[in-house]
Amino acid sequence: MRSVLCSLLFVTLLLFAAAPPAAADTEFSLTDHEGKVVVLDFWASWCTPCRRSFPWLNDMHAKYQQQGLVIIGVNLDASREDASEFLEKYPARFRIHFDSDAALATEYGVDAMPSSFVIGRDGELKVTHLGFKVRQQAEYEAILIEALGEQP
Amino acid sequence: MRLRILTIGLLLVCAGCTSMGVQPWEREILAKEEMQLTTDPLEAATDDHIYFSKEASSGGRGFGGGGCGCN
Amino acid sequence: MAVDVGVTDMSDSKQRSISATLAAATCALLGTTAATPVDAQEEPRWDFNTSLLYYGEDDDRVQDISFKSIIRRLYADDRTLSLGLTVDTLTGATPNGAIRQDGPQSFTRPSGSSAYTEPAGELPLDDTFKDTRVAITAGWQQPAGESGLVSAGFSASKEYDYLHLGVNASYAHDFNNRNTTLSAGFAFANDSIEPVGGAPMPFTNMLDVGDTSNRGGDEDKDVFDLVLGVSQVISKNLVVQANYSFSQSDGYLNNPYKVLSFVDEDTGDTLPNIPGPNGGPSGQFLFESRPDERTQHSLYTQAKYYMNGKVLDASYRYMTDDWEIDSHTVDIRYRIPLGETNYLEPHFRYYTQTEAEFYRLSLDSSALLPPFASSDYRLGNFDGITAGLKYGWKTRNDNDMSIRAEWYQQSGSVPTEQFIGNQASRDNYPDLNAVILQFSYRFSR
Repeated sequence: MRSVLCSLLFVTLLLFAAAPPAAADTEFSLTDHEGKVVVLDFWASWCTPCRRSFPWLNDMHAKYQQQGLVIIGVNLDASREDASEFLEKYPARFRIHFDSDAALATEYGVDAMPSSFVIGRDGELKVTHLGFKVRQQAEYEAILIEALGEQP
Repeated sequence: MRLRILTIGLLLVCAGCTSMGVQPWEREILAKEEMQLTTDPLEAATDDHIYFSKEASSGGRGFGGGGCGCN
Repeated sequence: MAVDVGVTDMSDSKQRSISATLAAATCALLGTTAATPVDAQEEPRWDFNTSLLYYGEDDDRVQDISFKSIIRRLYADDRTLSLGLTVDTLTGATPNGAIRQDGPQSFTRPSGSSAYTEPAGELPLDDTFKDTRVAITAGWQQPAGESGLVSAGFSASKEYDYLHLGVNASYAHDFNNRNTTLSAGFAFANDSIEPVGGAPMPFTNMLDVGDTSNRGGDEDKDVFDLVLGVSQVISKNLVVQANYSFSQSDGYLNNPYKVLSFVDEDTGDTLPNIPGPNGGPSGQFLFESRPDERTQHSLYTQAKYYMNGKVLDASYRYMTDDWEIDSHTVDIRYRIPLGETNYLEPHFRYYTQTEAEFYRLSLDSSALLPPFASSDYRLGNFDGITAGLKYGWKTRNDNDMSIRAEWYQQSGSVPTEQFIGNQASRDNYPDLNAVILQFSYRFSR
């Protein structure tokens, strides 16, 4: 019985996921994720700390997606090719949004690479993280857990 | 004296360059290895040592281990 | 990626039906364990940078073979430990400061235990120096707060007549979204000089073989350096920096092996000396004397400009000191990429300096001795030109290699008012022609 359900689920997924999970969006709107905790992570292929943050972001996605965590990796490469090459080497489980004209980066006031903006269930900006330090991973995670715990 | 004025002037001008620069996401070229101010530290150290031994001036780029009884 | 998991299971050699396999893959997706596709250990932890250098001057002068290695251990969050080792083996001769003469000359070696001769008309060279020098450096660098970087280190070097010990520290702070960086650093060194035979009393004569009555013992000097710098991003393609350096040296600044010819006021020829039975100098030569203090100021500016894959690196340095030496250095490198991973980099450097206030070609025996005097060509008036080419490539393992060949030429001149008598007709300045060859290898693990 279980294997039938799993097969059905797989087929459904196949139908929906026409592209790999790291889908490219042309439009972006926060309202799509109302009631969820959204992490907007601005990155670029040439940024070394970004490489370090990807495994952690994948980890967070796997752990907390069920609880309503949405991670969106906003790519700021001028060339889509550079970004695609990077993603082939360092695959992302979370969604990627391509912001090559930096409109979103300007809107959020990105001051460093990478930058993470944690938006709570209420749609308010909770925390901004500049850069990525492996040492502070636990701290970052605690912030996410706290945000997930809040009611929208 | 002239040097002192020149140096202070240059540093002031540079300090006033607070509006100059690029956005954090525009640093792709600046991040390249060949665009670092010292791309090859080994070559730089080698040259610094050769010219320190053969000329009366030294360093400028910074400083570091050195000193020798070079003749 | 989800698809990857399926692919892995598909290659499983166990007999399974396709649907079961696919189902298993999907269920793995639903599970909570995430097989992280990227190992966080992937970032390199070690950086090895090694080179072999050959430096050779013509006319049997100095030759140097040098091995240099810098090893860096990279810790999490941009903390770095670096260790450096340099081993130099020096051979060859160097000008001893005396001027050419029409006849042959003889000199006592620095050790005082034997003499050496120079043929008629030749520039006197002392070939005593066969030496091995070992230098080590160690440094630690780590971020300080959000925008700062602090570093500290020490350095030491040893050769048979010289010991250097030094410490250094610096701090850099980023402003303006990392577009501007201000830095400050200092270094302090204490160097001990243990000249072969003992340090000679300045302005005393070079004595016969076996006579060390004018020799003292060991000497030392302190050097304090300060650097203040600013670097600024101008555009996406252009970054510049400017550094002001201050250097203060106190103590024994003489070269214990260099002499000046003591000459006749009319002919300008070296006053003769009858060497002793065991050998000695054929003329009167006085050991040099420099001030025991030196203050230097430098201003260095550099720009790196990216043009469609090519990088232009241009710098200018101005130096002035209280010995009245002024120098200008222009250094230009132009890096041209060849394909994806190789490059060619021509290099040109122009250097010019004016002589020290106490630089003398020789000492007039009829005049009062000046307070200080040295005929060391490195304190003279000269131009230096370097022209070279570097070629770099990546090996199959993605490691960096490069070779460079350079030619360095110094040509100097003596201020004409210093010529006495016959000296004006001779070629007095020890011009230098050297070749530099270096092979480098760099890899990260």
